[in-house]
Amino acid sequence: MKTSKRKLLLLFSIVVIGYLFIMVFPFLWIFITSFKTSGEIFGTGAFNIIPEDPTIKNYITILFEKGILRAIFNSFVVAISTTIYVIFVASLCAYAISRFQFRGKSILLGLVLAVSMFPQMIITGPVYNLFYDLGWLNSYFVILPYSTITLPMAVWILVTHFNQIPLALEESAKIDGATRVQTLTKIVFPLAAPGVFTTAIITFIAAWNEFLLTITLNTESNYHTVPVAISFLRDQFSILWGEVAAATTIVTIPTLIIVLIFQRQIVSGLTSGGVKE
Amino acid sequence: MKQKLGFNGWLYLLPTLILIGIFSLWPVIQSVTYTLFDYKLNDQQKSGLYLNERFNTDLFHETALYIDLFLSEDLANITNNEDKVRAEETIEDVKSVSAEYKGVDGVIEITSGQRNEIVRLYEDTKGIISELTAEYSLTHGDSLPLLVEDFNKSIIPSNFIGLAAYKEAIGDKRVHIALWNTILFTVVSVSIELVLGLGLALILNKAIKGQGLVRTTSLIPWAIPTAVAALMWSYLYDGSSGVVAHFFENLGLINQSQDLLLSQGGAMVSTILADVWKTTPYMALLLLAGLQNIPGSLYEAASIDGASKFKSFFSVTLPLLKSSILVALLFRTLDAFRVFDLIFVLTGGGPGGATETMSIYAYKTMFGQTNFGYGSVVVMIMFVCVAIIAMIFVRLLGTNLLDRN
Repeated sequence: MKTSKRKLLLLFSIVVIGYLFIMVFPFLWIFITSFKTSGEIFGTGAFNIIPEDPTIKNYITILFEKGILRAIFNSFVVAISTTIYVIFVASLCAYAISRFQFRGKSILLGLVLAVSMFPQMIITGPVYNLFYDLGWLNSYFVILPYSTITLPMAVWILVTHFNQIPLALEESAKIDGATRVQTLTKIVFPLAAPGVFTTAIITFIAAWNEFLLTITLNTESNYHTVPVAISFLRDQFSILWGEVAAATTIVTIPTLIIVLIFQRQIVSGLTSGGVKE
Repeated sequence: MKQKLGFNGWLYLLPTLILIGIFSLWPVIQSVTYTLFDYKLNDQQKSGLYLNERFNTDLFHETALYIDLFLSEDLANITNNEDKVRAEETIEDVKSVSAEYKGVDGVIEITSGQRNEIVRLYEDTKGIISELTAEYSLTHGDSLPLLVEDFNKSIIPSNFIGLAAYKEAIGDKRVHIALWNTILFTVVSVSIELVLGLGLALILNKAIKGQGLVRTTSLIPWAIPTAVAALMWSYLYDGSSGVVAHFFENLGLINQSQDLLLSQGGAMVSTILADVWKTTPYMALLLLAGLQNIPGSLYEAASIDGASKFKSFFSVTLPLLKSSILVALLFRTLDAFRVFDLIFVLTGGGPGGATETMSIYAYKTMFGQTNFGYGSVVVMIMFVCVAIIAMIFVRLLGTNLLDRN
């Protein structure tokens, strides 16, 4: 009995270690490649674990010649502004859904859920025409249609969080003579803050990773975000893997930092809302 | 007791309703409209939705100007006096019709009387020009007959085609292949992810040690942009410098490392593997959360009743995990069915359409060939499939999904 349990534990450990290795390996390999020279990557040294002749030339080219910094800047602008307005709009909506009784509530929830299931491709054509007519192509207005992906998800997670705040607290505040605004600022906001924060992080990541709308609406490289700028490195005549590796390493850093700092919130957001990818 | 939502309360909902209305619902209705038209942005006669005939005044004015100019220049070459008079009359005719639309530009609606006049002008001018070019050697003898055709083209026929595009799509081989590729990709990758994710979640639920590390590591593939992950894998799969391709070749899974991305089967396997790498951790996290909600006392009770580990998995774990599994499956299936970034960056749909999914085909049709009409039909087929998948899952879940809120 004892030995079989130990064997099982050993097996589990091997599986977990194998899993960790598979998850980390691509990043590790990209990181190693980013310090290799082109000669080494395309020559016999392609599979060296330690670069023969470590160089930071790839990083210099990517940062100063290929405009990856501009893409990172754009991504921050787009992701932060999307997060701010989506969280504001979604909080209002989720608060009403969670706290008030009204007709058409389940229709509204159903609608929110349905929109989150739409194939994104269905909105790109008409939105492209709309932006063309308004002269909004190649601008930061792209954050408005980002609401299709982020808003339903944000509403959904926030409703779950708001429902967990006991209604009794608000009622007793009211009995104690608090005004509506006081109830909101003194009771609801502090209690809702963790949920709102969780939703904000998930929204930020979703906006940061958006690809289709940016590639169709913002064709000028000045407005490319990280995922789109990265995809264009693939299109080049001969793929310079060293630069690709350096670019990938750089753009992974912001995501890595966010995951490391906010992993608890992310997991709670993912599991409470049954969020999509 | 929850309050009733008054008029002011609706203000809470208004911004959401406006955003969803403009950027989600209106585009869907618009897309449905596109499918009924032969709508191509790069074709002068089809670049709008024309239920009725229209008249392109810009093209008409330009054509009239050149015909006037060319014919006037060629008057010297016409020796017969009678023909000369007829040519002059034609010039006057063109000028007078053109004058009726003076100051009008863009695409306008016209009455049938106006239409008949333009058609008459076209036919008359065409007749005379063909006679003259046959009779005399004109300076503009080559360009005039071509030019006069633009009179005809300035009348834009209705490009309403009803359901014809759907009919075309049903018989379109490329749609069949794309649909099959999408289904294959979805079914295979989601099944693998479910099995691996469930296994992983079960292990993690037991082994408390190192759970934090595993959780952190799992979140990274989920959190990085799909395009970045796809580019990373395209390097690992690369025929000459890719370490994964090299590894597979050494294992004997493929004949030569180039086969991975450049053979039809290899490309599909590669995209599925990349997707499994990126989303299995997400699946595992969702299922792990479900597992942790199952009270341990149930397992104790099962073991007291003499149930084996195996038995308690099937009669305690699975039934209680059912709704977690279904929710995870629903979102993963829909995501896999809509897959775009991963394939767009990794293979671009190639080689030879082997990994072309519905989204990729729709994107290529709409933004590659600017054929918004047919592209929308492809999207609409996808939309219907997504709706069917969603309905099946919502049925299976019962009212759980909405009840939770």
